[in-house]
Amino acid sequence: MAIEQWEQVKDLLYRAMQLDPAQRAQFLDQACSSDCALRAELESLLAGDEDVRSSFLQSRPLGSDSPPSDDSSALKPGQLFAQRFQLVRKVGEGGMGQVWLAEQTSPVRRQVALKLIKVGMYDQSVVKRFQTERQSLAIMDHPAIAKVFDAGATAQGQPYFVMEYVPGLPITEYCDQKKLKIADRLELFIQACEGVQHAHQKAIIHRDLKPANILVVEVDGKPMPRIIDFGLAKPTAPQADGETMFTQIGHFVGTPGYMSPEQADPSVKDIDTRTDVYSLGAVLYVLLAGSQPFAPTSDEKLPLHELLRKVREEEPPSPSTRVSGDRQTSSTTAEARGTDPKELASLLRGDLDWITMKALDKDRARRYGSPAELTADIQRYLSHEPVLARPGGVRYLIGKYARRHRVGVSVAATLVLLLAGFSVLQTVQLRRITRERDRANRITDFMTNMFKVSDPSQARGNSVTAREILDKASNDIGKGLAKDPEAQSQMMQVMASTYTNLALYDRAHDLAKVALDNRMTKLGPNDPQTLESMSQLGWILVRQGHYDDAEKLLRQALTSEQHVLGAEDQHTLETMDYLAVDQGYQGHYAEEEELEREVIKVGTPGLGPENERVLHAKHYLGVALWDQARYPEAGQVFSDLVDADRRVFGPDDPKTLNALGNLALVRQSDGDNAEAESLYREVLAAQEKVEGIQHRDTTFTMENLASLLIDEGRFAEAEKLSRTAMTVRTRILGPEHHDTLVSKLNLSIALFKEGHVEEAEKMQRNLLASQIRLQGPEHPNSLEMQTYLAETLIKEKRYAEGERLARATYEDQVRIIGLQHSETVDTLRQLARALALTHRYDEASKLFRDAIEKDASSSVQGNHFELWYAFSCVATAANHPDEALQYLQKAASLGYKDANGLMADDDLKSLHQDPQFQALVAQLRQAAATNGVH
Amino acid sequence: MPESNSGEVTQLLQQWKQGNEQALHALIPVIYKELKRLAHYHLQSERSDHTLQSTALVHEVYLRLLGQQPADPQNRAHFIAVASRLMRQILVDYARTRQAQKRYGGCKIVVEDLAALPVIEDADLLALDSALDELSRIDERQGKIVEMKFFGGLSAPEISQVLGISRATVDRDWTTARVWLHRQMART
Repeated sequence: MAIEQWEQVKDLLYRAMQLDPAQRAQFLDQACSSDCALRAELESLLAGDEDVRSSFLQSRPLGSDSPPSDDSSALKPGQLFAQRFQLVRKVGEGGMGQVWLAEQTSPVRRQVALKLIKVGMYDQSVVKRFQTERQSLAIMDHPAIAKVFDAGATAQGQPYFVMEYVPGLPITEYCDQKKLKIADRLELFIQACEGVQHAHQKAIIHRDLKPANILVVEVDGKPMPRIIDFGLAKPTAPQADGETMFTQIGHFVGTPGYMSPEQADPSVKDIDTRTDVYSLGAVLYVLLAGSQPFAPTSDEKLPLHELLRKVREEEPPSPSTRVSGDRQTSSTTAEARGTDPKELASLLRGDLDWITMKALDKDRARRYGSPAELTADIQRYLSHEPVLARPGGVRYLIGKYARRHRVGVSVAATLVLLLAGFSVLQTVQLRRITRERDRANRITDFMTNMFKVSDPSQARGNSVTAREILDKASNDIGKGLAKDPEAQSQMMQVMASTYTNLALYDRAHDLAKVALDNRMTKLGPNDPQTLESMSQLGWILVRQGHYDDAEKLLRQALTSEQHVLGAEDQHTLETMDYLAVDQGYQGHYAEEEELEREVIKVGTPGLGPENERVLHAKHYLGVALWDQARYPEAGQVFSDLVDADRRVFGPDDPKTLNALGNLALVRQSDGDNAEAESLYREVLAAQEKVEGIQHRDTTFTMENLASLLIDEGRFAEAEKLSRTAMTVRTRILGPEHHDTLVSKLNLSIALFKEGHVEEAEKMQRNLLASQIRLQGPEHPNSLEMQTYLAETLIKEKRYAEGERLARATYEDQVRIIGLQHSETVDTLRQLARALALTHRYDEASKLFRDAIEKDASSSVQGNHFELWYAFSCVATAANHPDEALQYLQKAASLGYKDANGLMADDDLKSLHQDPQFQALVAQLRQAAATNGVH
Repeated sequence: MPESNSGEVTQLLQQWKQGNEQALHALIPVIYKELKRLAHYHLQSERSDHTLQSTALVHEVYLRLLGQQPADPQNRAHFIAVASRLMRQILVDYARTRQAQKRYGGCKIVVEDLAALPVIEDADLLALDSALDELSRIDERQGKIVEMKFFGGLSAPEISQVLGISRATVDRDWTTARVWLHRQMART
């Protein structure tokens, strides 16, 4: 068609389309008059009009343009859901959503139950329950519990669970249909209880146990109960306020007929495992007596509040009473149990009444403490032993309810931590409820997205780790809450601290950085939240080993916090504490000491001497003292701290173990190796058990013990420990982290001492390069490293190189850390040895005499014997034994005490046979014994 | 957070608006890359039979490239117009790839397999593509409108703003274009 014609066609076409089809013919008659071609064209176009009108090109090529919506209402059998589930039929619908039987097509073909959580119900409690179900699936594995294979969410954010499909009947229906006798019913019930018991051991409460959730399937002709729907499982303490819970009763929190009195009571906030014991009791009641404990006798339904009141306040009739009550129903009930009403009542009377009523006690303290106790009593009944539920078993009871489930699931702990963080966040937000309603929904939307981790190709059975969820969530947070930067920052902050707790500092850093930037822009630099972020980021930087950057940030935060929050505010003290630690890492020990003393001084009156922050400050005070070689003071700080930590945190707490480890270190530094080693071994054993070998604390202890073993000359043992620690640290912290470098240093020393000199040199050079890159060439640690390398070079007989390095280092050290510093003396010793070994002892001797002269005239306090001792070593190396002995005696007269050190020093080996040397050793030992040192 | 060279993109858009076709050439690779990356990204995440919307995708590219601040609506419209053209290209490329795979018999489902999505079949998409070429030869403006509306997800008011035509004209062009394309596709 010609282009110019199209304008005309288009115009007519459009006008025709505005008309009723009936009027079009007339319109075309007029419009086209004699132009047949034009008319034909228009008619041909209009022929498709109906199709076009309805849908053609109306949708986007990538899907519908409508906002995300609840598409579960539109689901039909045969439809493909989430790309790999062929829906077969709907098998249930409740307050929480729908359950579908579906055929999973990949990665394995199987029938599954798909539980779709209603979209639009992004309400606090649903999402919370959803999360807990996610966690449950990872840790439960029991034949009586239906497996949860996977969970995910569709592109619209509709969350769903993929669960084992259980093609069974509710336990009560099954028993009635099969006319099972009481004993058989009890057997089946016991198996169900075992499943619940398993869940309780994993700290998971079902909270909605009822026959519809305890299905029975036949496996090889044998009935097996299987509990479904742990969607309401609740491993953490409830925090929903009573009203919410109350209004939602019957919606998804429990089912009235099986709900425990504490669930029916809005004022009770802590629901524990005994709520399930009650529900099991109610199921047992139905299995025995054929109706619910509070079932109305007539067909008329009780109003909900009335039923709840009964559950809370009234005693139900015992099962035997119930059976003998209503003649008409009781005969049906008895028949279904293979007996007659009279016999049934007498069967139930006594033991079974007592057992059931004990499980249904209003006071949970008087109920069975666990499903296991309930089954144990049923077993006693079945084997004709006296049951404990017998009235008068009070004494037995008292011991029972103290025993509660313990939360001790290590894998899940992280997730709990994470979720706890979120819950706090959400609670805080809900307080500002009206304005923040939107935000809560956005957060929960985001939370829902967290569960899209499941990639079938990566699915490893039931294990989806908290780490995976966290990684996924932190990847998505950038866009997940983009519309609400404030909430986004908060979430990031929570995730950052979770990562920090997991020692995954890089991830923590990225999140904390964005959170800080956002808050800075949104709230300004002096907002408490901004300052909190600043402080946290500073701490992460400390943990990452970026001490300079950390210091800048922490100082800035501290100054503002002192101004905005005041000097006594917890946050101010926290930042000061962080800054102190940072100072310590930078080698500014006096500054560290001063800051920590300030934290303790300011914090103690308000927070108490055993406050966690105060204890933390004390810990680093001890470290600062140790770093300044003030061992007796440090020892006192740590032994007090160990006592306090044991009281406050318990003996196996990581913090207590750390303090104990540091006490060991102080003892070691003070020369008490035996005491130190035994403390180290105690700590290491506990840490390996409690924290695992990969934990930072554990590797710390290993390194300290390794250095002690080096002192003791047990080099092979030391090498092994250091190597393990280094491997772990390199993998987790990276090759240049401060801690990794410490491991490398210890390892290189062990290797050197073992005689693997070349390997040691290689490691030291690598270490020195990192050290210089990280802290600069004049940092004490870099200089110390050079001394080690110089020593190694000398050992390799590369005297010129060793001398050059030692000399340069010595000059720097004198300037930077002073002549008296033991590290400087060490360097001088290496330098002088290099000279002595190349026949320039005179030169070496002059160096020492100069140094000793300067030291004597200096006002700086220090161990003056160190120079004499080192001088002696060099004299020995230069084969001047008389001189050497003279210097040693000089050292001893100035305070040198360590007889063992003397014996262990390789440089002094050639003196061992000398009677004067032996006399000196004996004299030092004698002195040590009389003074009762250590 | 996305690295955004928003200044540059905004500048190029300005230039393009002022009639500099070179600017468009410079813009296209930037937007194309971003669109393609995002398409991959989105399609890797699990999805059901309904899935992400092209509008959302284009908006996201927009946000990433121009930054978060609300740019002037005209800028936005122009940007989305360009993105729409690219969207079309990408989708058609995918559909072609998929068609080719079908010919090999093994119809392996790959994550970036856009054409697995409902609403419009691969074959239809390819047919639409060539019909749209045909329409653009007859009426260039109408072709643009379809591109923006269908591939870019622009609304009629936005299109009228971009093209500087009345709302009524957009409606008329859109309605008649659909009818024309429908017939054209039915014929081939």
